[in-house]
Amino acid sequence: MNSTAIGANKPHRRRAFSRADRTTLSAFVGVPLFFHLLLVWVPAILTIILSFTYWSGISISRIKFAGLANYKNIFFDTPAFWEAIHNNVIWLAWFAGIATPLGILLAYQIDRQIRGHKFYETAYYLPVVLSLAVTGIIWNFLLRPDGFVNGLMGRDIDNAISFFGNYNINIYVILTIASWRHIGYIMLLYLAGLKSVDMALREAASLDGATEWQTFKKVIFPAMKPVNVIVIVITIIESLRAFDIVYIIYGSSAGFPILGTLVFQNIAGEGASMKGAAYAVILFALSIGPIIAYLRTTFKSDVQ
Amino acid sequence: MSDATHGISRRTVLKGAAVGGLGLAAGGSLLAGCGSKSTGPLAYGARSVDAGPTAQNKALIAAYTAKTKNEVKYNATESNAFQNNLSQYLQGTPDDTFEWMAGYRMQFFAEQGLLADLTSVWDTIGDQYAESYKIASTGLDGKQYFVPKSWYPWGMHFRKSMFKDLGLSADTVTNWDEFLKMLDGMKKKGLVGFAAGDKGGWEAMGTFDILNARINGYQFHVDLLAGREKWTDAKVLDVFTHWAQLIPYMNPNVLDLEWDGAMQLLLQKKAGSMLMGSWFGGNFKEQSQADYDDLSIIPFPEINPEHGRDTVDAPIDGWCVAANGTNNDGGADFLKFAGDMEGVNATLAAKDANGALIPMTSANKGQDTSTYDAFQKEQLAVMDEAKYITQFLDRDTRPDFAGPVVGPAIQSWFKNPKDVNKIVDSLQAQWDALPPLA
Repeated sequence: MNSTAIGANKPHRRRAFSRADRTTLSAFVGVPLFFHLLLVWVPAILTIILSFTYWSGISISRIKFAGLANYKNIFFDTPAFWEAIHNNVIWLAWFAGIATPLGILLAYQIDRQIRGHKFYETAYYLPVVLSLAVTGIIWNFLLRPDGFVNGLMGRDIDNAISFFGNYNINIYVILTIASWRHIGYIMLLYLAGLKSVDMALREAASLDGATEWQTFKKVIFPAMKPVNVIVIVITIIESLRAFDIVYIIYGSSAGFPILGTLVFQNIAGEGASMKGAAYAVILFALSIGPIIAYLRTTFKSDVQ
Repeated sequence: MSDATHGISRRTVLKGAAVGGLGLAAGGSLLAGCGSKSTGPLAYGARSVDAGPTAQNKALIAAYTAKTKNEVKYNATESNAFQNNLSQYLQGTPDDTFEWMAGYRMQFFAEQGLLADLTSVWDTIGDQYAESYKIASTGLDGKQYFVPKSWYPWGMHFRKSMFKDLGLSADTVTNWDEFLKMLDGMKKKGLVGFAAGDKGGWEAMGTFDILNARINGYQFHVDLLAGREKWTDAKVLDVFTHWAQLIPYMNPNVLDLEWDGAMQLLLQKKAGSMLMGSWFGGNFKEQSQADYDDLSIIPFPEINPEHGRDTVDAPIDGWCVAANGTNNDGGADFLKFAGDMEGVNATLAAKDANGALIPMTSANKGQDTSTYDAFQKEQLAVMDEAKYITQFLDRDTRPDFAGPVVGPAIQSWFKNPKDVNKIVDSLQAQWDALPPLA
């Protein structure tokens, strides 16, 4: 009896929010939005503005307009910048070409429940629990000239293998350390995605006689599109914003320049200048460019 | 104390020349209540978490509290982190008194109004310090913002026992040829001749300082760091040419070791010599008294006879009072005690974990140099021989040049010494691109 009345009212109620609903909703949307603007966009825009000034970070009255001077300085007079770009590009290539695919492969194997998959899952995920700073500290202890590995090999500091100081190998040492964590991260993301893929798809594929590789390439991978987007975005962001591990190992010196440490080196301490802000803006532009482009093409094809 | 007891007194301190002209406007005290007995509790910001300095600070604070009944809250931060955060720290809610360095790095913050005027402190304890210390403690406006604690020279450190084994003595390593011969002899014995570390990005600045001063003289060095000379000058290239001659005698992992790694090489008798500031003597003493007694310092050898061994890097460490602290009077009162011989004696009485006294060469001329141990007497001799005192590269030039530019440039030189022309070009370009000083 009541059901008709309720049924008639329901769609109507859904569309028009009551005052209480509206208050709740605006609070739910408005409060985070306010903090997001305040804590993310206001500083971001201020950083962009500051990158066009000379300022030591002390007493705002001393600020001076610099035009493009900071950028000119970075692009034309600072070799460390190009070294950093070089390192960040290798970092990205390594993550995109080696670490991320390895994470996906592991996820796929574990999802197929190979023997000992629970152990692998835990083992590979463990590093992700640690913060990057802790990761840096652990590996620094292991690979320093007076660290564990050199000690194990009976080498003293005068003939220690220079894992961090030899510029032919140190980028790969750093990347291996970073991958140690990144692989587990990607694995977990992908594993969660794989669990949600309908088993029927896989069965249908194998009934059609598809090989394992064909199944993955033609069936599973396309079905995983949302996760793929996240994985790609994360890979790009993690490669560009890399900082913690390098900072822990090399400190604020330019022993191993990457964009993240250049930002810090030029914005912290007595040597602070708005060159640091300009580095931050360049980093921001580099990170957001490919991501927006990628998301746009993805969503465009979704709409179609 | 006679003048001769303290080497620095007759010397020119870098920046001192610039400041001296402006200086000595010893105005009346701005700090009310300095004469009063109780200035209340205060906070102390330490720039080190190492055992030795911590023990010294605690001893000093205990003596101060015992005397004045003023409680002192002790906050310690690791030195690199402290430096990186200093601007924010001083603009926020800093400790009332904090540890810092004399000269340019103090003047920079004084200029920004972040340090409290300590003229009244100097009015009270100033006669216990040589004029050069007062100059190094004076801001560009002629007021004092700093109270010195201690000094140490940079020089060639070695172990007496190893020198003896190698048939060497201080008199046989006085010029560049003898120096290279010494390094060669060490190398033939399978030793690292010239222990070096530059992972921190600042350590090798000391080598640049001394080579430049030896080859091109004090005036050129000072002018270069002030931007009055060019980095692209053939004289600067000459510095790197000499430096490159030392590379074969260095440990191969220069960029993998920090100063303490290089020190370990000397401590473990794997290296024959090391250019460093003598402050690390405390680390040797912590290891054992025998290691400390074995430690020795001589001035860096002469290269250009025109300049002899007339310059030395000798940084001065001490304290400032943060203008934004809650108790400026308290901070000043504390420094009046710390800088006075009474406070110096309390600091000198501090003992390390082994119960041994911690070596310190005080800036106060009241410290009787006859109480110096052998190593400290050698440090004094290094100072006495020099006519000009510099602080250190990162204390003698603009902070936005030293850390972010010179440090990385020297590191990239170590990566590829053949790039030297590119490196000096970029150093000059980066100097030219610096914003005008306010």
